[in-house]
Amino acid sequence: MPMINCDEVMRQLWDYLDGELTPERMQAIEAHLAMCGRCHPHAEFERAFLRAVAQVRREPVDTDGLAAKVRSVLQAEGFQPT
Amino acid sequence: MELFGGGRSNLVVMSTPPLTAGKDARFEREALVCLPDVARYALSLTRNQSEADDLVQDTFLNAYRAWHQYLDGSECRAWLFTICRNQFLRTRRRDERALAMDDPELEALAAAALHTSVRESNLQHMFERTEVIEAIESAIAELPLPYREVALMVDVHDQTYDTVSQILGVPIGTVRSRLFRARRILQEKLITHARDAGLGAARVTAVSGEPRSRST
Repeated sequence: MPMINCDEVMRQLWDYLDGELTPERMQAIEAHLAMCGRCHPHAEFERAFLRAVAQVRREPVDTDGLAAKVRSVLQAEGFQPT
Repeated sequence: MELFGGGRSNLVVMSTPPLTAGKDARFEREALVCLPDVARYALSLTRNQSEADDLVQDTFLNAYRAWHQYLDGSECRAWLFTICRNQFLRTRRRDERALAMDDPELEALAAAALHTSVRESNLQHMFERTEVIEAIESAIAELPLPYREVALMVDVHDQTYDTVSQILGVPIGTVRSRLFRARRILQEKLITHARDAGLGAARVTAVSGEPRSRST
């Protein structure tokens, strides 16, 4: 596995955290993070940030009233609910 | 890759073909189940509940009319996001020319510099704090649309760079630069919020975008 330095890791950290790199590149960055006292805390901070942002989606949204309106519009168009 | 049937960024709604009950059942199973996500996405675009509700209704009506264009096996939520976004843009003038053409790698380096200030301010665990979590939604809502929609699609709705590229009709490099810029703006806002809430131990300095030294 090719060795990569901190600068390369920082440049591709978001791509890594989003799983957007090749398997080889993912492994190389993972290996670097496992042993780098400088990059590892940064990566953990960014992971925590992404987890926090993703929680927005888990906030319950009350769409019952809206769903009824959408179904009404669709039924006027010929939609037959099951 | 052809992800969506009948075009992508400029989906044209065709006349409604006769639909069988089976097709309606499939529409219900695959499209209507996405309504909460589409509603959240519509609200992120309009930032107005009444307009968002209208946008959701138009989205599903257009989707129903164009259902014969939807390809089996493609991502229905991404298809609905495309329709929703196109419908929204029909009523809003888009101004992407004002956007700077950012370098995604420089944005990534700027994020590293931001983390340095976080560490110096003892805010490394700020995203475990309720005060910060609660501020995220409004921070996203304040992002300019081109950044907001990319952050929503990737960070909230788990879309890949490639899918977002197709939904928006822009290159993947543009998706990356907008996403990374959006994340940095969000982090700067949230760091300021954390500081104002009395979290951390020292002053937080918002980073203006200058990457740190590239030397390792």
